[in-house]
Amino acid sequence: MELQEVQTLVSEYLDKAATAFQQVPGSAVLIRYVRSSYQNDPVRSAIELVLVIFFIRYLLSPSYSTSKVNYVKLTDDEIDELVEEWQPEPLVPKQTALEEAEMDKLPVLVGPTGPKSKLANGKTVTNLASYNFYNLNANEQIKEKAIQTLRTYGVGPCGPPQFYGTQDVHMKAEADIATYLGTEKCIVYAQAFSAISSVIPAFCKRGDIIVADRAVNYSIRRGLEISRSNIKWYNHNDLEDLERVMRKVVQEQAKKKLTRRFIVTEALFETSGDMNDLPKLIELKEKYKFRIILDETWSFGVLGRTGRGLTEHQNVDPTQIDMIVGSLAGPLCAGGGFCAGSSDVVEHQRISAAAYTFSAALPAMLAMTASESLNVLQSNPEILVQCRENIRLARAQLDPRSDWVMCTSAPENPIMILVFKPEVVNARRLTIEDQERLMQECCDEALANGVLITRLKGSSISTHASLKDGNWTVQPALKVCITSGLSKKDMEKAATTIRHAITKVMTRKTNNKLNLPTA
Amino acid sequence: MADQAGRRRRSSSILQVYHEPPEPIEQLSDQSALPNLNANWVNAKGAWVIHFVLIAAVKILYDILPGVSQETSWTLTNITYMFGSYIMFHYVRGVPFEFNGGAYDNLNMWEQIDDGAQYTPAKKFLLSVPIVLFLLSTHYTHYDLAYFTINFLAVLAVVIPKLPISHRMRVGLFSGVPEED
Repeated sequence: MELQEVQTLVSEYLDKAATAFQQVPGSAVLIRYVRSSYQNDPVRSAIELVLVIFFIRYLLSPSYSTSKVNYVKLTDDEIDELVEEWQPEPLVPKQTALEEAEMDKLPVLVGPTGPKSKLANGKTVTNLASYNFYNLNANEQIKEKAIQTLRTYGVGPCGPPQFYGTQDVHMKAEADIATYLGTEKCIVYAQAFSAISSVIPAFCKRGDIIVADRAVNYSIRRGLEISRSNIKWYNHNDLEDLERVMRKVVQEQAKKKLTRRFIVTEALFETSGDMNDLPKLIELKEKYKFRIILDETWSFGVLGRTGRGLTEHQNVDPTQIDMIVGSLAGPLCAGGGFCAGSSDVVEHQRISAAAYTFSAALPAMLAMTASESLNVLQSNPEILVQCRENIRLARAQLDPRSDWVMCTSAPENPIMILVFKPEVVNARRLTIEDQERLMQECCDEALANGVLITRLKGSSISTHASLKDGNWTVQPALKVCITSGLSKKDMEKAATTIRHAITKVMTRKTNNKLNLPTA
Repeated sequence: MADQAGRRRRSSSILQVYHEPPEPIEQLSDQSALPNLNANWVNAKGAWVIHFVLIAAVKILYDILPGVSQETSWTLTNITYMFGSYIMFHYVRGVPFEFNGGAYDNLNMWEQIDDGAQYTPAKKFLLSVPIVLFLLSTHYTHYDLAYFTINFLAVLAVVIPKLPISHRMRVGLFSGVPEED
């Protein structure tokens, strides 16, 4: 009895449901579709049904993020408490005693720089602390050109090179540098420091491999860091170690996807002054299929018969170096930097080098000065000879004759890097800080005797936390910049003064630690 | 799906399943430095319409080829779309146009869309297209078993990598798990 009732009820509901379903628009199509698709094949229909059910489920699922959020949930009170407790770190860290003493004694020049400069205290000193190697700063021909350009073009380009900042003088400077070096093309940057730190990331990306010398300068280190590439280091100027690293890279990469590989090094090293062996470097590059980014910041306008740099000095075809990066700011007395290479290399940078794209172009006057300085160097190569003669004289006074210091620079390098001899360091157990203090005393003593020199401030250059195992201890050093603007007699005299200053500082009672008990 | 933690070196076997390890903080900050133009366009107007336009174009192309039956034409359209979308969304990794120092080099486009979030509108749409196309093509191939099998395998090939479970999952066939640098 009850069962029958239920049955009728169910059939009634089913009828109602069927009628209701038939009234829904499109239901006839659906029924026809299901009927025609069944075709006596339950397995296939089941597969389709499962797919449709999965599809509907997917469409109805709420979205969620897969990135793991690891923030700690804090209450408002806790946030207030943390804000209360927070002590801002000073933007500039407090100066150490040494830095403070150094700041107090910092010499200030009045008037133009030159072989003889006037200080703010009224004293005129021999200036061996400026990169004015050929005294082009005082060259009337260049000055005249600069003044003319200033009158015609005004003081600044007021725009990035790709945004109305490029003027004919920039294109002339680029063409002049390319012709001078013997490369296909050249690109001029507005600042020398940012040139290489922009060239490296323009070519090297994440996953690429850079093999770099351990002693590369701060600007290169910045570039390496920004590039996000894998950095491998080789011992300073040790090309056998370089070959070992390159061989390892080639072996490791043999089965992987092809990546770009670069060698990054300097022609004349900023922190030690020594020279690279370019022919051997090119041999290795060809053998293991790397590209070379060569920083000629300190050698452009310095090495070679007409100052073309390391390529001229070691008789290497400049087109074999993929990118030559140099500075126009040092001996050329202009400003800015450049990268010379093949047409592709240069044009790539015009849109992808950050320092070129995002900073205002070089002032027209400086671009013209660079062109003119190159002209002067090419037409009077004897000024390089004069400068080298002065380097030889100064070196003879300092390197073999001093009991305390030795010169690590290459004989052609006008920047003489003078470090304490290892036996002095060992005998007196000098720490890096001791050496820095002594070097500062030497500078002060030399200045007191009328010779302005500076010292290599290396500790900030070389330690960089974000570059793994790339730390390099720069030995504190004196930096003596030779200039052809001094007569031979003056040069010898200045070098002798420096030698005596070092001897005086080192023989002071207070600086002799020999009487201390051994630790 | 064994190890969520990251790539793990195992003894060699024919099939290796592993997950892409999480990016270091430096890479994450590079990823978020700029909007990801490679993946964001799927949310743009017109990006959805283009699927239908392309499918229609492919269908017309196969229809005008002489000697191609309706069944073959539908199957070819289906396979072409699945193949193309597999290449685009699941095979190619990284960003074809260089703009963020290779911050997305390890991820395919599907994993880049909406920063890897699942079940977002764009992803729901992109999953619907192959399923609807598959149902249409089985219908118009009159449920022939051979065509059905081909079409079904093709749709599986693009649906499985779209599932949340396949997020950052990699399958290596005859090749070991890549070493980390």
